[in-house]
Amino acid sequence: MEEVTLLIVLVIALALFFDFTNGFHDTANAMATPIATGAMKPKVAVTLAAILNLVGAFLSTEVAKTISSGIIREGDSGILISPELILAGLIGAIVWNMVTWLYGLPSSSSHALFGGLIGAAIVGFGVNAIDYGVLLSKVIFPALLAPVTAGLVAFAATKMAYSITRRYDGRPDGRSGFRYAQIFSSSLVALAHGTNDAQKTMGVITLALVTVGMQDAAQEGPQLWVVIACALAIALGTYMGGWRIIKTLGTGLTAVKPAQGFAAETSTAATILASSHLGFALSTTQVASGSVIGSGLGRRGSSVRWGTAGRIGVGWLLTLPAAAIVGAAAAFIAHLGFWGVMLDAALGLGFIIFIFLRSLRDQVGHETVVNEVAASADAVKITRPSKRSGTVR
Amino acid sequence: MIDWGAFVVVFAAALVGTVVVVGLYALGLRLLVVGGRVPVVVPAEFTDAITVLTPAEIASAERKAAKAARKNPLTPGQRRLAAYTAYACFALCGLAVLFGIYLIVPFFHAGA
Repeated sequence: MEEVTLLIVLVIALALFFDFTNGFHDTANAMATPIATGAMKPKVAVTLAAILNLVGAFLSTEVAKTISSGIIREGDSGILISPELILAGLIGAIVWNMVTWLYGLPSSSSHALFGGLIGAAIVGFGVNAIDYGVLLSKVIFPALLAPVTAGLVAFAATKMAYSITRRYDGRPDGRSGFRYAQIFSSSLVALAHGTNDAQKTMGVITLALVTVGMQDAAQEGPQLWVVIACALAIALGTYMGGWRIIKTLGTGLTAVKPAQGFAAETSTAATILASSHLGFALSTTQVASGSVIGSGLGRRGSSVRWGTAGRIGVGWLLTLPAAAIVGAAAAFIAHLGFWGVMLDAALGLGFIIFIFLRSLRDQVGHETVVNEVAASADAVKITRPSKRSGTVR
Repeated sequence: MIDWGAFVVVFAAALVGTVVVVGLYALGLRLLVVGGRVPVVVPAEFTDAITVLTPAEIASAERKAAKAARKNPLTPGQRRLAAYTAYACFALCGLAVLFGIYLIVPFFHAGA
């Protein structure tokens, strides 16, 4: 019994740490564009993002249910997944997340989490452990379709915003007024992030609690203390992640204008909120990137830099299988019994400390801190000079 | 096995929501400009990503906006109408957002 308690404490601690890194990693999804256009002061933006992530985490539990009772067949009809395997999956997710963070590869925290869990489950119970129908319909297809949806919608919205406000007589067009709108639209993105990403962790903790009988499998949603802990972890991570985006905005987002930023943020928020509502666990990073690219293409004189866009795409495709491999390796070690699990935990902890020390060494200015959303803005080239004298844009 | 309809729903909901919100706000801005109240919103802080505007440039933009307002061909009544319609657009835009949130939060539908 003590071993089980220790395991559950480890799983919860790792899950909350994952949640924290998720917030840390994703502050920029909501706040990169408003900071880039000057809609908000960076510190205000980051604080607002943290608060709204906290609120968002309480709004819905659909995504948590997808994870806790969907993808892996558990209970009477299927296999009984053990907390050891969940631990292994989490280690896979965290390790891959931190590797991509250190090397500045575009990646998705969400897919890292799914990859890790799937890899661990396959090692534990063979390929039949996964409900491929749910995996395809709630994870893989949303992952492919959501960024495209967000991109198309942002494209249409940007075209519309520009054509409604366009003036052919050269008089002021008032487009700088979109800055006020951006305060609200980016707040919505932060809220949406809370509804989708915080829940992934809630789902994992709930799954772990069910496996050791601390929660009845019939009770589908997460318990209240789980919701509160996850909400706090992601909000804290979001707040702590702020320093990073404040320093990194010199890189890619210089081309984003207020009208475009507003259209992109609204599209991101709408896509994530609609998806969360239907229980699709998608990657907020990818949706935000899709929107930024789509809205860039919605402006006149824009073209895609296919090299940059391709690099982003490869990073996305790689995440799930790579995290699955790490998760599978961790599950393999966990199979050695109690000491295997302890070895896993020690290796995971050692790795986290190693990455942390490495990141301190090369701090800011290194390409590691290039954010995915900023990188995706870089995938669109705007050729038309848009600076006119006498207007604030 | 795969619920394709759900993807169509997400796409449609995202498209309609975004077009309504962005469209209303853009229309509101346009009406403000038509009514001679051109907003000049300067970046809150000049981070690395933003070209720094000098106070002179900002003042010049504000003068230009004021000039456009003076040369406005509309009568004062028409201008007021345009401005009020603009504010109505902003209000509707806000309501659309609130309605969207209302739709997705289960708390509001607990009775159903």
